[in-house]
Amino acid sequence: MNAAATDVQTVKEPAKQEQRVSGIETFKYDNKIVRAFAIATVIWGIVGMSAGLLAAVQLFFPAANLNLQFVTFGRLRPLHTNAVIFAFVGNGMFMGIYYSLQRLCRARMFSDSLSWLNFWGWNAIIVSAAITLPLGFTSSKEYAELEWPIDIAIAVIWVTFTVNLIGTILKRREKHLYVAIWFYIATALTVAMLHIVNSLEIPVTMWKSYSVYAGVQDALVQWWYGHNAVAFFLTTPYLGLMYYFLPKAANRPVFSYRLSIIHFWALIFIYIWAGPHHLLYTALPEWAQSLGMVFSVMLVAPSWGGMLNGLLTLRGAWDKVRQDPMLKFMVVAVTAYGMATLEGPTLAIKSVNSLSHYTDWTIAHVHTGALGWNGFLTFSMLYYLFPRLYNTKLWSTRLANYHFWIALLGMMFYIVPMYWSGITQGMMWKQFTKDGFLQYPNFLETVIQIIPMYRLRAIGGSLYLIGAWIMAFNLWKTARSGVFSPDTEAQAAVAIPSHTEKKRWSHRALEAKPMLLTSLAFGAVAIGGLLEIVPMIVVKENVPTIASVRPYSSLELLGRDIYIREGCVGCHSQMIRPLRSETERYGEYSKAGEFVYDHPFLWGSKRTGPDLHRIGGKYPDAWHYNHLDDPRSTSPGSIMPRYPWLLTQKLETNSLPARIGALRKVGVPYPTGYEAKALAELKAQQAKVVLNLKVGSVTSDPDAEIIALIAYLQRLGTDIRATPTAAPAPQKTAQVAQPIQNTN
Amino acid sequence: MIQHMVEKIGGIANYGMISICLFFVVFTCALVWAFRLKGKFLSTMGSLPLEDEKEAPAAKGEAHHE
Repeated sequence: MNAAATDVQTVKEPAKQEQRVSGIETFKYDNKIVRAFAIATVIWGIVGMSAGLLAAVQLFFPAANLNLQFVTFGRLRPLHTNAVIFAFVGNGMFMGIYYSLQRLCRARMFSDSLSWLNFWGWNAIIVSAAITLPLGFTSSKEYAELEWPIDIAIAVIWVTFTVNLIGTILKRREKHLYVAIWFYIATALTVAMLHIVNSLEIPVTMWKSYSVYAGVQDALVQWWYGHNAVAFFLTTPYLGLMYYFLPKAANRPVFSYRLSIIHFWALIFIYIWAGPHHLLYTALPEWAQSLGMVFSVMLVAPSWGGMLNGLLTLRGAWDKVRQDPMLKFMVVAVTAYGMATLEGPTLAIKSVNSLSHYTDWTIAHVHTGALGWNGFLTFSMLYYLFPRLYNTKLWSTRLANYHFWIALLGMMFYIVPMYWSGITQGMMWKQFTKDGFLQYPNFLETVIQIIPMYRLRAIGGSLYLIGAWIMAFNLWKTARSGVFSPDTEAQAAVAIPSHTEKKRWSHRALEAKPMLLTSLAFGAVAIGGLLEIVPMIVVKENVPTIASVRPYSSLELLGRDIYIREGCVGCHSQMIRPLRSETERYGEYSKAGEFVYDHPFLWGSKRTGPDLHRIGGKYPDAWHYNHLDDPRSTSPGSIMPRYPWLLTQKLETNSLPARIGALRKVGVPYPTGYEAKALAELKAQQAKVVLNLKVGSVTSDPDAEIIALIAYLQRLGTDIRATPTAAPAPQKTAQVAQPIQNTN
Repeated sequence: MIQHMVEKIGGIANYGMISICLFFVVFTCALVWAFRLKGKFLSTMGSLPLEDEKEAPAAKGEAHHE
């Protein structure tokens, strides 16, 4: 590759001043911060993929966790998703933005100090996630699992990045903002909004909090966040990067700048509404489901507009694709974006979703995006940047080509088995005999059927990881063969102040007014959020209360927190959809009113194991004990991990009053003074469970954690069968209701 | 069955209409704005990422914008 010969001059010493001679200013781009993020994205990419591979192996070889609670699937999965999304893609995003923003604005970053605070703060957050998630400190909300102190740190660092971004834009020398910068602005604003709203929680201890939302409301806010984390963390910044790096690589302008404008406004406006498609057929009100579905289908148009704009940029330059591995990665990335953004709206159609939801089809879908779109685009940027940062050529183009083919093969070996697995699951779950009974009433049959696909998936993941190692080696050798330029000197004319130009109300004028553009972009995303959240608050008042639904007892509450800690929600849903195949298998469909005390909601998003919402009372306590100790003892062929530590670890009760107090603050009607008798009630319920275990020839310490978890599991979904107390139905405001104890 | 899950929310049908209307307005504005832009400006803007590979501009204000 032709390295950094493109810039005016490269220098080694850091820039302290900017010189101005007859209207031309000389300044320096900061390369050190770009290199730091580049190295971080390579390292965290390998870490995140390795965690994913270990998790994948556990799905056909559960003993791969070595019976260590810290690396068991339920804790490992959020570590993998957080590492890949926020560490690998996050650092890759910052790398690309810090490089392109300076050049598009013709200015050094607003503040080097803020740049480094962004880098060290973000990576400290990732390290803290890598420590706390294996320890079981989790909020359980997907892609927002980190606990409240880290949530605050994320907000602070994100604001740091945003200030640096806006500051750089304000001091730019290029008058108009290129479309890539609009995508960066939309990313910065929307992620801040999503993160803050979704992370509102009441702290209990240093590493435990409860969401302020419950049940249906929590589900809607979470998937408004979750969907838009995909949209505004994994998509919009990378679209901005595509609009910068693809023209650079192809050495030709973007196919249609006009289309990119329409792409931007349509995409950011539509995306924000689409979250409820993650909750189709659930207890979410139907109006919200329909809204999510319609906007999801509409999303095809801007997404494909952007994808085609990217691919058509290569018109007349396809010969370069054959030679340049960077372009090869870029083409596959954009193609994967097109595939994922056609598939996403398809999956958001209710009839398709009834088959696909909770299956591995979703896993295939997200990995088309993660491995193809984000992964390949990041690799492409790395192959572009390293030679330029080090003033040399790529050490080995052949190795980069090997990486490309291995990664492509790995991606195929990952997603094709997952499609196969997902469709198989969906079909088997819904299959009835001619007599009207479930063809596969034992859920385990449907799991055993797809284990070969899980093996193939692990092979695919291994190949992809091997490719990443090859890239790391190639980049390291590239760095060793060149000389790093901490700064790149450049020159630019001083921009004409906007007030000297004739005032016009046009998009062209808008692009020269970053604060106005920022406000409009924020308005586009905030309106969508507002119009979903305000009705959500209305819904809160309209969720039909069920008289027999009561808050969890103290033991059940602690059991629920263990369920959250172990990440059970990663494999088990708690939401029975009103579909015959589900009510036949699991029982009565789930009602919104059953979740009014669930802070957070635990509906889940996939069923590697069966739904648990009606598990209460289905099996004896001893069955649960034996099953958690060794799932194969009760369910031969099960791929669930063992949980032997639950049998020996003592239940922590010191924080019980704080937990009850926190939940009361968010609306759970525990009676005043309940804390004082909660422990005695807990002991009594423990004794009952221990007694029940003896019936099944099991002896257990009443203080073992497993007792609390069994109490919680036996409570699940049973409230609608319970007799309502004489007291009025509990309201989430001032009235109080007695927690009921399970009589197991 | 879904209808039994939640109570009917007053005026909720309006939210769908409001959201579609809002999108229509935003999309129309974006279209009008985009199609009013001059070809020369679009060409300059589209080439912006390639500009940082060129030599410094000859004089103040001459490069990068019309």
